[in-house]
Amino acid sequence: MNQLALLVALPLITAFLLPVVNRVSTLAARWVGPLVLLLTSAIGISLWPQLGDSAVAVELGGFRPPLGISLYADRMALLFALATSIGTLLLWPSRGEEWLRQSTLALILAASGSGLALSGDLFNIYVFYELVAVVSYGLIAARSSAGSFAATLRYLIVSSFGAALALTGIALVYQATGTLNLAQLSRLAPTHLNNLQGLSAFVLMLIGFGVKAELFPVNTWVPEVYATAPTRVSGLLAGVVSKLALLIIVRLLVLVFNQPEALTVMLVLGMLGVVTGELAAWRARDFNRMIAYSSIGQLGIMFIAFSIPGEAGVFAGLAVALHHLVVKPAMFLLAERWQGSLHRLAGAARTSPLGAALFVLLALSLIGVPPLPGFWAKLLVMVNLMAQENTLYMAGAWVIMGGAALEANYLFRVASSFYHRSDEQSSPAAHRTRDLATASLLGAGLLAGAVLIMPLADEIEGIASQAASKNRYVQTVNPEVLP
Amino acid sequence: MQRLSSALFLLGLGLLIAAIFRGMEFGTAAPIVGQAINSAAAEQVGAANFVTAVVLGYRGFDTLLELTILFTAATAGGLVLGKRSPTAKRDPDAGFILQAGADLLFPLLVIVGLYIILHGHLTPGGGFQGGVILASAFFIPILARPGTRMSHAAVSTIEGLAGASFIFIGLLAMFGGEAFLTPLMDRGELGALLSAGSLPLLYLAVGLKVGSELAGLLTHLSESEAVD
Amino acid sequence: MLDTGLVLYSGAFGLILIGIAGIVLSSHLVRIIFGVALLEAGANLLLLLATWHEGAAAPIIVAGRVPDRMADPVPQALVLTAIVIGVGILALALSLALRVQRAYGTLDMHEVRRRMEQDIAGEAGIDLPSSSHAPAAVQTARQEGGA
Repeated sequence: MNQLALLVALPLITAFLLPVVNRVSTLAARWVGPLVLLLTSAIGISLWPQLGDSAVAVELGGFRPPLGISLYADRMALLFALATSIGTLLLWPSRGEEWLRQSTLALILAASGSGLALSGDLFNIYVFYELVAVVSYGLIAARSSAGSFAATLRYLIVSSFGAALALTGIALVYQATGTLNLAQLSRLAPTHLNNLQGLSAFVLMLIGFGVKAELFPVNTWVPEVYATAPTRVSGLLAGVVSKLALLIIVRLLVLVFNQPEALTVMLVLGMLGVVTGELAAWRARDFNRMIAYSSIGQLGIMFIAFSIPGEAGVFAGLAVALHHLVVKPAMFLLAERWQGSLHRLAGAARTSPLGAALFVLLALSLIGVPPLPGFWAKLLVMVNLMAQENTLYMAGAWVIMGGAALEANYLFRVASSFYHRSDEQSSPAAHRTRDLATASLLGAGLLAGAVLIMPLADEIEGIASQAASKNRYVQTVNPEVLP
Repeated sequence: MQRLSSALFLLGLGLLIAAIFRGMEFGTAAPIVGQAINSAAAEQVGAANFVTAVVLGYRGFDTLLELTILFTAATAGGLVLGKRSPTAKRDPDAGFILQAGADLLFPLLVIVGLYIILHGHLTPGGGFQGGVILASAFFIPILARPGTRMSHAAVSTIEGLAGASFIFIGLLAMFGGEAFLTPLMDRGELGALLSAGSLPLLYLAVGLKVGSELAGLLTHLSESEAVD
Repeated sequence: MLDTGLVLYSGAFGLILIGIAGIVLSSHLVRIIFGVALLEAGANLLLLLATWHEGAAAPIIVAGRVPDRMADPVPQALVLTAIVIGVGILALALSLALRVQRAYGTLDMHEVRRRMEQDIAGEAGIDLPSSSHAPAAVQTARQEGGA
């Protein structure tokens, strides 16, 4: 099980050596990155069967927790670590002038994303989170336009602000408990953190880690960054990185902060996210911003779902998150050729029939039209919200319904314009084969999910019940009891 | 409108922090992990400086990531700053005093930097502190003579190899069936220069990497064209 | 007699509040970046103070002498990490500010934001009510889609 560390170590050592390798052979430097990611994905997949019912913990440096840092892998963590590796591989940066630096950054993103999913130590999570942040600044700025520099700087400020707040929260937790190990925190939380200081620490960390998860007040960067970053990078950020941040928040909720007030804060912020995101998407006039704002709305739904207490919440949230993980990168791949004003997209189905068809498929699933997976995910959230018999949760259900109506309106408006004949202006260019192939692969995955929905739901429920079990985490890591 | 919402946000955050502040007890928290480390570090890691034992032993993984963050910031900084246009104006060379001072300082700074790196497991200091001094040793001559160029190829090679050797030492432990980043070699006598197993090697890698990283980043910044 | 703990903690929370105020209230980008640096300094100080005890000795064994009461080494190691992270991000932020200043000729947050929105809109082919022209600089940025 020590191989878990390889998911982080291998891409990192490759990234460090990439400039050196490039001086020996450019060809090797171009291919070694994707090959290493293939290797780490293979390692991850080979570990999957061993996680059937049990989770594993690795004690890094050979020190027993809580003294050392431990990695923890249940199926949820491994799933997201794999999603990072495979997602980076699928969205490997295009070959531009700066391919070497971009490949280096992409490798580090894969390493840090996997580490973020696996880490079992609060401060280690913070460091991984900052690493993901710095990598994404570099990848966003890779466009090298004035707009992208300004957007990156503004994103950097919001993100560093959030990270500093999260660090403050971590300091408060350490002050109250004297430990950073999540398993030991989980043991101490009921006596040490079940108070105002614990709640404020959670709110600070929620805002801090929420920056990447596009949480309501700290998501101002989303429309700017997704409009200026390379579309593949936007796909990675919206598809994969946002889920990793969400995963951390869920872990903290399950293990440490299971106070009802914490759930309420998340529910309210999620509802505000859905409302503001969907309204802004409805008003958006260009394609990138439309899907950027819609992703704020979608992540709001995930926050609402994860705020449902108990295993049901984790199950519903995980279903929505996995659905979004497949749909959003595909949307951004289509955006590669469809950037800009929505008016320009009239008649796009003529030049790119497959692209238009894919968009319709993705849009239908995003809105939640049966029998696509998006429908089942949303249904699960709605049913569980209704079952709470609490006014605020009911309000959450209504907000999701309203959001879906708005989504249907703006996505169909765009989809129908694809099939309108436009004579006075030229249609947008056809998609590149590479983008279209990747997007089709994701679309095929979506269709496969629709066909195999029952076994898939069982699998996700199993993953969720494993992730929602506080006892399993504590017993697997089994930190030493200190006086 | 935006001003108002910012002020409200600030007010809310201020109240939150005031609430935390009121409820806090100062200087009474129990450092349970810290105490455990203080009593176990001499035997488990063998470094006389327990902070180093934490930085490279118990939390060595954090340190690896921290190095990666510096590396990433330097890479992204290079991407942002781009190449200098050949026609850009340069600052003139500094006067005699600064030039002679830089020449004199160079060997001293290198020695002090290496000393601090190599004694990191015994006294306050270590790879980060020493690395910064090494970086300044190489950067001060550039301030004195802005025309001279630092070899980016050499800097990036040192940086890559130093970072890779940190991970490689960690991976070596895995070949022996241990966990990633387990300290290797004999722990030696507490307080001796050659003690604490592979920790001094790790700190040397850290020092070289931090030094080359910062020197590279600073020269990149100084080589970018000034804004008038 | 002033309580040392109160002074230290007030310093940490004071830095945090000054940093946040600087980020939220100022409109010059470099000042905002310094606000972030102050906020980080406050958070670091708070972390360092988390298990602070009056009169504890540095956790270093000199010449075989073990001090009676040693300070917690963990926050010191954490703060070292956090400071280095902060330095890396600060350098990157200043590089970005340099490029923004070179492109737009200003570092005023509102002005930069307005110009950026213009750039994005110009690239997307949308007319913003406040601007009738799209800057020419945007056209050069679109090298990516050529292949």
